[in-house]
Amino acid sequence: MAWKTIKWPVYHLFAIALAVLMLYPVLWMLMSSFKESRLIFVTAESLLPDKWVWSNYADGWKGTAGYPFMTYIWNSLVIVVLSTIGAVLSSSLIAFGFARLSFRGRNLWFALMMVTLMLPHDVVLVPQYVIFTKLGWLNSIAPIVVPQFFGIPFFIFLMVQFIRTIPRELDEAATIDGCGKLRLYARIILPLLRSSLATAAIFSFYWRWEDLLGPVLYLNSPDKYTVSMALKMFLDSESTSNWGAMFAMSIVSLVPVIALFFAFQKHIVQGMATSGLKG
Amino acid sequence: MKRRMLGLLAAVTLASTALSACSSGNDAPAGGSADDPVSLRIAWWGSDSRHAYTQQVIDLYTSKHPNVKIDVEYASFDDYWKKLAPQAAAKQLPDIVQMDISYISQYAKNGQLAELEPYLNNQIQVGDVSESVLGTGLLGGKQYGIPIGVNVLGFHYDPELLKKGGIDSIPADWTWEKYEEMARQTGSKGLYFDSGFAPDIFFNYYLRTKGETLYNEEGNALGYDDDKLFTDFFRIQADLVKEKALRSPDYLNQIKGVLEESDLVKGTGIGVFQWSNQFVGLQKAAARPLALAPMMGPDMEKGIYMQPSMYWAITNNSKAKEEAAKFIDFWVNDVEANKIIKGERGVPISSAIKEAIAGELDEPVKQVFDFVSEMEPKASPMSPPPPTGSPEVIAALADLIEELNFGRITPEQAAASFRKTASEVLAANK
Amino acid sequence: MLKRNTALRNDLTGYAFISPFVIGFLAFTLIPMFISLYLSFTSYNLFSAPRWIGLDNFVKMFTGDPKYMNSLRVTFLYVFVGVPLRLMFALFIAMLLNNGSRLIGTYRTLFYLPSIIGGSVAVSIMWRNIFGSEGIVNSALIAIGLGPVSWFGDPNAALGMLVTLSVWQFGSSMLIFLAGLKNISPEMYEAAGVDGAGPARRFFRITLPLLSPIILFNLIMQTISAFMTFVPAYIISKGEGGPMDGTMLYSLYLFRQAFMFNNMGYASAMAWVMLIIVGIMTAVLFFVSKYWVFYESEGGR
Repeated sequence: MAWKTIKWPVYHLFAIALAVLMLYPVLWMLMSSFKESRLIFVTAESLLPDKWVWSNYADGWKGTAGYPFMTYIWNSLVIVVLSTIGAVLSSSLIAFGFARLSFRGRNLWFALMMVTLMLPHDVVLVPQYVIFTKLGWLNSIAPIVVPQFFGIPFFIFLMVQFIRTIPRELDEAATIDGCGKLRLYARIILPLLRSSLATAAIFSFYWRWEDLLGPVLYLNSPDKYTVSMALKMFLDSESTSNWGAMFAMSIVSLVPVIALFFAFQKHIVQGMATSGLKG
Repeated sequence: MKRRMLGLLAAVTLASTALSACSSGNDAPAGGSADDPVSLRIAWWGSDSRHAYTQQVIDLYTSKHPNVKIDVEYASFDDYWKKLAPQAAAKQLPDIVQMDISYISQYAKNGQLAELEPYLNNQIQVGDVSESVLGTGLLGGKQYGIPIGVNVLGFHYDPELLKKGGIDSIPADWTWEKYEEMARQTGSKGLYFDSGFAPDIFFNYYLRTKGETLYNEEGNALGYDDDKLFTDFFRIQADLVKEKALRSPDYLNQIKGVLEESDLVKGTGIGVFQWSNQFVGLQKAAARPLALAPMMGPDMEKGIYMQPSMYWAITNNSKAKEEAAKFIDFWVNDVEANKIIKGERGVPISSAIKEAIAGELDEPVKQVFDFVSEMEPKASPMSPPPPTGSPEVIAALADLIEELNFGRITPEQAAASFRKTASEVLAANK
Repeated sequence: MLKRNTALRNDLTGYAFISPFVIGFLAFTLIPMFISLYLSFTSYNLFSAPRWIGLDNFVKMFTGDPKYMNSLRVTFLYVFVGVPLRLMFALFIAMLLNNGSRLIGTYRTLFYLPSIIGGSVAVSIMWRNIFGSEGIVNSALIAIGLGPVSWFGDPNAALGMLVTLSVWQFGSSMLIFLAGLKNISPEMYEAAGVDGAGPARRFFRITLPLLSPIILFNLIMQTISAFMTFVPAYIISKGEGGPMDGTMLYSLYLFRQAFMFNNMGYASAMAWVMLIIVGIMTAVLFFVSKYWVFYESEGGR
C-alpha cells in the first residue's frame, strides 16, 4: 500500500532528475545564447549568464551576408516538408510490398536495399553528382528532395518490422470483404502503422533539417542556402565569430523540430492498443 | 570487365561534359564583342563579413559592366573544398575560383585551372605587381593563379602581457635560444609565451633559414637530407611542453579552432606565431592593442617569404575566360573596389593600390600593412607551392608532432617515421 | 496455367508496390555503386583518369597502413561498446515513459531533445566544454574521488567520450521502442495469464518477445549506423581523429582519404571492405534472429 502512494512522486522525481542530467548540455547551449558573444567562452563553466542579453537573437535573426535568417528557414522548410512527405509515403508503400506480399525476388531486393545502407556514402557521392548534373538538377533542391520519393531504407525496414507485428487475421478479414491489395494497404495496414509513420516523419524531418552535405554540394546560389549552412556562416575560423548569434539561431532552428515532435509524438503512442482494431 | 567499367565511367563523364556545355552560366561565345551579355560564376570561402563585402565589389563591377551577370557561390573553408571536388569531377567548376596554396597544385596539375599567361597585361594588368609576388602563382613555370594578397610570418603579441611576464620587448634580432629563454621566463610567471607552431609551416621556415626546404623543387621528395634539422627544431617545443612552459597538446586539442578560447584572447598567453592576415581577426577577438614582431633567426631573411593569402584562378571549364580575367583585373587594380576590400584578403599585390588605400585603413589593418612593407624587402623568394599529396604529408607530420609533444616518441623516431611516410606519398608525383 | 497466372499476378503486384525503390535504385544508386567498386581497383585522385592497379589498395590496407588497422580497431570498439549501451538505455527510458502520466508528452520531448541538437557546431563546442579539463564531467569525477580524466589527451578516454555522446543521443532508438511498446495491447498480458505477475516476469514473458522484431530492427540499424558513424568523431576532433587517432573512426579515415588526400581509389576500396564487414555482421544478426525474434503475423517462430 505504501508503495502505491509514493509511486508517482518517486517516478516524477526520478524522471526529472534523469532529464536534468540529460539536458544539461542543452541548457548550456540555451544559456550561452543569452550571454554576450565574447563572454561565452570566458564564462563557459558557469551555466547562468551574469547579464542576460537578448541581442544575440535580434542579431542572428538579421541573418548573414545580406539574407535575413527567415530566408534560410523558409528554404529549409520547403526541402524538409517535401522530403518528409515523399519519404514516408513511398517507404510505407514499399514496406507493405516487402512485408505482406510474396513475389519472386523479394528477398533479393530486400537484401539489396540493406546493402545500400552499408556502403559509405562518400564513395558514391561523386558519381551521383555526375548523374544529377546530367539531369540538369544542379543548383536546385531536386537532388536532395527527389530521391526521398523512392523510399528510404531505414523507414522501409522499420515499417516492415511493424507490419510483421500486425496479425494476419486482419488481412484475411479484409480479403474476404473483397479488398484489393491497394485497399488492404490503405484501409487496414496504413491506419495501424500510424505509430511508425509518425516515427518516420519525425526522423525524416529532423534528418533533412540538419543535413549539411546535400545543400553544400547541390545548392550554389546563396538565396537557396539552408539553416544548417547559415549557422556555419556566423563562424569564422580566422577571426572573431558571432558565437552569440550562432547559439541563438541554433536554438531558434530547434523550434520547428521540437514543434513537429511534440505534435507527432501523440501518434507514436496511439499504437494498435488504442486504435480500436485489436488483434 | 575492366574495360567496360572504364567505358561506363567515361560515358558518365563525357555526358556530363556535354551537358555542362549547355548549362547556364557558360554559354557566352568565346571572343564575342565586348558588350555581349555574359554570365560568370565565382566561388570563394570565408565568413559572413567577407561574403558581404565581396558581394559589394561584384555589384560595383556589374554596375560598371551592365552586360555581365555574376553568380556567386560561397561556403566555409572545409565545405568549400567538399563542394569543389565533385564540381571538378563533373566539369562543373565556376569560372573563377578562389584557391588556397595547399590546393592549387592539385587543381593545376590535373588540368582544372587555365594558364593565365595570355591574359597578363592584356586583360589583367600586373605592371604594379612585383615579380616575386606574381611569381607565387607559378607552378612549373606556368602562371595558374593571381595572388589576391600577401602574407608574411611573424609573432603577434600583447606588449602589456609581455611586460607582465617580465620581458620589456621582443629583441630586434632574436634567436631560437632567446625564444626558449623567454618562454621559460614567462612560463614561470604563469603566462604561456605562445600557442605552438603549425608544424609544416614553421618547420619549413626553419629549414629555409638553414638553406633547405620541406619539399624539393620537383615536389616528389623531401627537400632536406639531414634529420638532425628535424630533431633540433621539434625538440625545442617538445622540451618546453615537458617543462610546462607551453600548453600541453591535450589542452590545445580541446580549444582547437575556437579563437575566443586561445590563451592570448583569454589573457593567459602572450602571443601567437602566425600569418600576418590573421592579425586583424586576432586583434578583434582580443580587443586589446597587439603588436607584430618579426620571426626569430638567425638568418630570418632567408627564412621569411611573401606568401599569397589566396589566389584567384580561372578554370579550364570556363567558357568566358577573358571576361573572368577582366574581373580579376578589376579586383587587383581598381581603387574603388579595394576601398571596399580594405585588405581583408591580405595586403594588396599592386603597389599603386596599396598607396591609394593606405589612408582608408583601420588601425590593426594599418599595422599589418606596415609590417608587411617592412618585411617585403628582406624576404627571400617563396619555395614552390606545396606539391600534390602535401595534405597527407602535413597530416602525418601533425600526428607525429602530437605524439612527440605527448612524450610518446622521441624526436629521432618522429624524424625517421616522417621521412618514411612523406617519401612514400611524395614518390607518387614522380 | 491458372497457377502460373496467379504467380505472375503476385509478382506484378509485389513489384508494383516496391517499384519506387527499384526505380530509385536503378536510377541513382546502382551505377554509382558499380563505379565505386571499379574505382577500388584503381588509383584515382578525382581529377585525372583512374589508373588500374589491381588489388594494391586492398594489400596496402591490410599490410602497409597501420592507421587503417587502428581505425578498424577503434570502430569495432565503438560499435561493440556503444550499441549495446545505447540500446539498453533507450529501452530503459522507453519503458519508463510508457505509462499514463499526464506529463508524459513533456517528458518524452525532454528526453528526445538531446538527439535533435545533433551534429551542429553548437554541439561540438558544448561537448568540448563539458569534457574540458575544467568542465562539468571532470568536476564531478573529482568530487567523487576519481580524479580528472584527460579526455582530449588519452586516445581511449576520447573514444569513451565518443561512446558517451552516442549513448546520450539515444532518442531515435527510444522512439522506436516506444512505438513498439505501444503496439503491445493490454489484452496480450491478460491472454498470457501473467496479468498479476511481477514486473520482471511480465517483461521477460510478454514484453520482450512481443518487442523482439523491434529490438532486431534497432539492433541491426544501430549496428550499421555505428559502423558508419562520422559526425561526432568529426566535430569533436575537428576532423583530425585525434588525440593520437583515438577517435579515428573508419568513416572519418575514409573521408580523409577521399576528400582531404584525394585518394578516391583507396577510399573506395575501404568502402567496399566496410560493406563486406557490415554485410557479414548484418547477415549474422538476421540469421540468429530466427532463434529469438517472435513475429505475431507469422504465428510465432
